[in-house]
Amino acid sequence: MSHTVLICDDAIFMRTMVGDILQQAGFEIVGEAETGIQAVEKYKALKPDLVTMDIVMPDMGGIDAVREITRFDPAAKVLMCSAMGQQALVVEAIQAGAKDFVVKPFQPSRVLEAVQRVLG
Amino acid sequence: MDASRYAELFLTESQEHVSAINHSLLTLERAPGASEPVAALFRGVHTIKGMAATMGYQAVTDLSHEMETLLDNVRKQAVRVDAGVMDVLFKGADALERTIEAETKGRPAADTGALLARMREISAAARPTPAAGATAVGEVPSAVGGVTVRVRLEPDTPLKGVRVFMILQKARTLGTLLATEPAEAVLQSGEFEGDFRLVIDSHAGAGEIEGAIKAAGFVQEAHVLAPAGGIEGPRSSAALRQSGAISPDTAEMRVSGTFPVPDAGTAAEGAVQHKHKNIRIDLRRLDTLMNLIGELVISRGRLQAIAAEVRSPVLDETLALASRLVSDLQDEIMTSRLVPVWQVFDRFPRLVRDAARSTGKDVDFVIEGKEIELDRSMLDEIGEPVVHLLRNAVDHGLEPPDERRAAGKPPVGRLRLAALRDRASVLIRVSDDGRGIDRSRVLAKAKRQGLVEESREELTDDEMYHLVARPGFSTTEQVTDLSGRGVGIDAVATRVRSLGGSLELRSVEGEGTTVTARLPVTLAIVRAVLAKVNDETYAVPMTHVSETMELAAGVHETVKGREVLSLRDDVLPLVHLRDLVKLPRQPDRLSHVIVLEMAERRAGILVDRLLGQQDIVVKQFDGVRDGLPLFSGATILGDGAPALILDVSTLL
Repeated sequence: MSHTVLICDDAIFMRTMVGDILQQAGFEIVGEAETGIQAVEKYKALKPDLVTMDIVMPDMGGIDAVREITRFDPAAKVLMCSAMGQQALVVEAIQAGAKDFVVKPFQPSRVLEAVQRVLG
Repeated sequence: MDASRYAELFLTESQEHVSAINHSLLTLERAPGASEPVAALFRGVHTIKGMAATMGYQAVTDLSHEMETLLDNVRKQAVRVDAGVMDVLFKGADALERTIEAETKGRPAADTGALLARMREISAAARPTPAAGATAVGEVPSAVGGVTVRVRLEPDTPLKGVRVFMILQKARTLGTLLATEPAEAVLQSGEFEGDFRLVIDSHAGAGEIEGAIKAAGFVQEAHVLAPAGGIEGPRSSAALRQSGAISPDTAEMRVSGTFPVPDAGTAAEGAVQHKHKNIRIDLRRLDTLMNLIGELVISRGRLQAIAAEVRSPVLDETLALASRLVSDLQDEIMTSRLVPVWQVFDRFPRLVRDAARSTGKDVDFVIEGKEIELDRSMLDEIGEPVVHLLRNAVDHGLEPPDERRAAGKPPVGRLRLAALRDRASVLIRVSDDGRGIDRSRVLAKAKRQGLVEESREELTDDEMYHLVARPGFSTTEQVTDLSGRGVGIDAVATRVRSLGGSLELRSVEGEGTTVTARLPVTLAIVRAVLAKVNDETYAVPMTHVSETMELAAGVHETVKGREVLSLRDDVLPLVHLRDLVKLPRQPDRLSHVIVLEMAERRAGILVDRLLGQQDIVVKQFDGVRDGLPLFSGATILGDGAPALILDVSTLL
């Protein structure tokens, strides 16, 4: 059975791209979220195997969302999507419970490696 | 990866962000201390940067990166928002728009070097110089009972500092981390080559330690060194702490001064952006749907004509149902094409601000009715004329502050852009409280050009409108870079007319000018009154029809040699459609009048017969060669015959 994924990013562009990468690798995209609040709600509803999480989002940022999600499910597997120059935020996200991170611009191989590490 | 697939998505989404950025910049300019617009700006620029980097758009990436850095400094209050910073940010937003446009079209982006340098300058002045940390791998501080692990990261590891943090986190699950070389703070700042060592007090075997560290990712090599050379006599962990090799509190990772202190709150707060949920559909699809439904409407008309001849109750009933479904479908498709005007209007505040600045005027610009909806293609068409009206108002209408004061007006000029729904039309109105159109100058110029008689001393609103709307008639003698020369109200009037709308102008000297464009909600399908003259059918768009009536032969009167129609208390000029299409009149027959109304002007048009109302699908045409400038388009009727659509504006 393929792994289920919830994609959280406020940019449709990014959601589409991450979704395409994962879908081509055989993952099942079960949901998308545009804000941290949505991410938490959808995580609770969908219980996906994997979450990709943008750091900067309106309403509730990715880090707070990770915190909420891991509080709800300590085994949650969240992969942070960050940009260059966000070291401190990524560290904070990992302290909050994220399992790994990828850095934009995304290269499919890098994303899939990170996903394997997270799910591994 | 084939990025071209994403180019369009990138373009539309980043344009929305640029629009939101401009919006936030205006908010920030009004309230330079506010944190909310800064957070929104940061988010917008940040998102564009991420997308652009993914697309490989270097110019956009560089530009958004510098803007982001600058905004980050603003956010951290290391940079104060003043006029200079605002100026750089506004220029940045403009440059972003241009580079996005250029790079998505595969054109070279204009040089932004000077702007980038200026941004860097501001950021550099703000930023405390980062403490230079030791980066070389020196002697490994040895530790009692510890194992030293040499780790090498992959050459192109992104965010090395974070990766190291994850590696150290893994190491800590195996035992106590005693020391690192370089110091942990240096490692976390990412300012090292890629090699580092750590000393760990652990019972785990070498294989287990190496495996755990490699599992953190991007580890090219993890090698547990033989303890023999590592231990050089006892050194307390306190000594290690003093040497800085170990951070004072290993549980608290945020130790480095060079780390920007993360502020998750600012990233999460301030959702002032427009919230709209929708899916993206290629506009061409909607156009195709619209064309198809248009054909369907025509077929329905044909079927109805056939059914009227066949006279079968079953057919009538089925057809009634089918045509209701067609109507519903048509409504749905029309509605799906409607977009709120703010999608175009939202860029105007920025434009007005720039225009006001370059002319040294203070303008209070208000937009009303942002949520009013128009057909997408109509909205695209109307943008440019509205820009023109706004620029005109700032450039020529509103006075400079001192002139306003002298005239007893508040120094800040008011400019209002409003969208209103009025029956089947939408009104777009631009009004200012400026000096108004100088009638004496219009009159003088009109006399010079021989457009009015020398003896005239006054102009009516209507006459003035017609003069001002004449191609090439402009009362401003100087050319400004805003409105240019020769393109004035006339260009706007022509465009609005070609969209099936009309333009109205009101101006009171010293009090201001209001220009109103009345537009049909959609371009493609309009409701029209069909009328017969001889064997030809003509369509008159309902937008301009106020009523229809029968007229017995010869009841109308003649005033000053012109035929008129007395309608209640009003006297309207009467036009014979037969005259217009060069057919002989039929004097002794009962005829019908369609009363037209446009911008407070009315007229009656005489036709042979009325066929009733119908939705017609407008097919634009460029006009018949040497034909009458009477028609704005054509349509296909139910019986397959074509009908010309009267351009009401030319009749009035």
